[in-house]
Amino acid sequence: MPLPWKRNAREPAPQPSPFEDLALPLLPSLYNVAFWLSRNAADAEDLVQETFLKALRGFASYEAGSNFKAWIFRILRNTYLTSRTGLAARRTVGLEDELIVDGESGPTQYPEATIDRQTPETNLLQMADRAALQAAMETLPAPLLEVILFCDVEEMKYREIATTLEIPIGTVMSRIARARMALRKALETQRPSSRESRQ
Amino acid sequence: MTDHLSNAILNALADGELSADQLASASQHLAACPSCTSNALYQSLLKSATAKAGQRYTPPPDLTVRLARAASREDSRLQAPGFRSVPGPTSPGRFGFRSLGWAVAAVFLLAAAGLILLQHGSQRAELASAERAALVTEVFDQHVANLAGNLPPQVVSSDRHTVKPWFQGKIPFSFNLPQGLPSDTTLDGANLTYLHNEPVAQLLYSIGKHRVSIFLRQKSGATETDELATERSGFHVMDFSTNDLEGVAISDVDPARLAGLVSAVRNAQMSDQK
Repeated sequence: MPLPWKRNAREPAPQPSPFEDLALPLLPSLYNVAFWLSRNAADAEDLVQETFLKALRGFASYEAGSNFKAWIFRILRNTYLTSRTGLAARRTVGLEDELIVDGESGPTQYPEATIDRQTPETNLLQMADRAALQAAMETLPAPLLEVILFCDVEEMKYREIATTLEIPIGTVMSRIARARMALRKALETQRPSSRESRQ
Repeated sequence: MTDHLSNAILNALADGELSADQLASASQHLAACPSCTSNALYQSLLKSATAKAGQRYTPPPDLTVRLARAASREDSRLQAPGFRSVPGPTSPGRFGFRSLGWAVAAVFLLAAAGLILLQHGSQRAELASAERAALVTEVFDQHVANLAGNLPPQVVSSDRHTVKPWFQGKIPFSFNLPQGLPSDTTLDGANLTYLHNEPVAQLLYSIGKHRVSIFLRQKSGATETDELATERSGFHVMDFSTNDLEGVAISDVDPARLAGLVSAVRNAQMSDQK
C-alpha cells in the first residue's frame, strides 16, 4: 500500500477554479430561488445547472471585485425568464405588473381600519405559521416574489436588487411594498380558514 | 395624526435602507404615532418571518458534485486549443469585434492625446511669451526710472569684492561678478530691487557713456532658457541663464557690446560652478 503522501503525489486533488470558489458557496441560495421561481425540483436543478454553465462561459466578462452574487443571480433570473415556466409566468403577470408598478412609488398608506383590526400579537401568530407564510408567498406573481426573495431571504440591498433585476431602485421599492402588502392580505384571508382547520 | 409614514419609508425602515436623516425623522414620528409604530413592527416581523419561510428548498446532496464536475468539463473544453469563447449573457460581444473596438478606441485616444499635447505646448508657449513680455516691461521701466532719477547706486563701487558682499542677507542667492570686463566697460555699483515681487540684484555698468542694467534673479524653472534679444523703444534687452540664475540685461548701447558684457557676466557664474 503506498504511503499517503505518495498517493497524494500521484493523484493530486483537483483544484477548484476561481469561478467555483465564487459560485459553489452560492449554490443553496441559487437553488432555493430557482425552486421558488420554477415551482418544481427538476426545473430548479436544470435552471441552476444552466446558470452555472452560462456563468462559467461568461466568467471572462465578469469584472473581478464587482458583485458576483448580483451577477450570477442576474444570469439565473435571465435564464428563468427565457425558460418555459418563466415565459408562462411573464405572460400571465408581467404586463399587469409593469403597468402598475412604475407609477406606484407614492406614499401608499395602510388603512387605519386594518391597524385597528389587528394587534401585534395576532400578526405574530399569523407569521409564526411558516406554512401559512409560504402559502402566501406562493400566491405572489414572479416579479413580486423575486424581490421578496432577494430582499428578505438573500438580504440583498435595494441597489443590488436593482442591478440583478436591471430595474430602477424606485421600482424595486414599489415592488417590495406591493409584495408585502400582498403577503399581508394573503395572510389575512388565510386566517379564518387556518383557524377552522385547527378547530 | 394624518401625516403618517409612507409605505416606502416603512419598508425602507425594515430593510435598513433609510439614510441617517430619514431614520432620525422616522424615529421622531414613530415616538409619537402608535399607528405607524404598529405598522413598522409588523413590517419588521414580516421581513424576518419571510426570511425564515423563504429558506424552503435545499439542493440535493449530489447537485454540488454534479455541478463541480460539469464546471470542470466545461472549463477544460474552454481551455482546449481552437475553442472560441462564447460570450456570457452580459458579455458585450465577440472577441474580434471587441479587439477592433479597442483598436479604434486606441487610435482615438492617441489622436486625443496628441491634440491635448499640441494644445498644451501651444498654451505653454503663449504663457512663456506673455511672461517674458511682462518681464521686459518691468525691466525697461526700472532701467528708465533709474536713468531718469539720476540717483546714485545703493552700493557705489567699481570693486566687485565690495559689490558682491553688499548683497549678503539681502537676496536669497549669490552670484559672481566678472573679473575682466570688456574694453571701456566699468562697474558703477548695484541696487537691490524687485522683479515680479522677487528680490533681484541690479548690477549697474557703463559701456562708454551708455548705462547698462543687468538684473540677476534666482531661477524659477529647472530648464535652461534660450537666450533672447529684443528691442524696446531703442533699448536692447537680452536674456541669459545659468544653472541657478536668470539674467536680463538692458541698455541703449550697441547690441554687440552689450552681448560682450552679458557673456562676461554669464561666464562668471559658470566659472563658479566648475
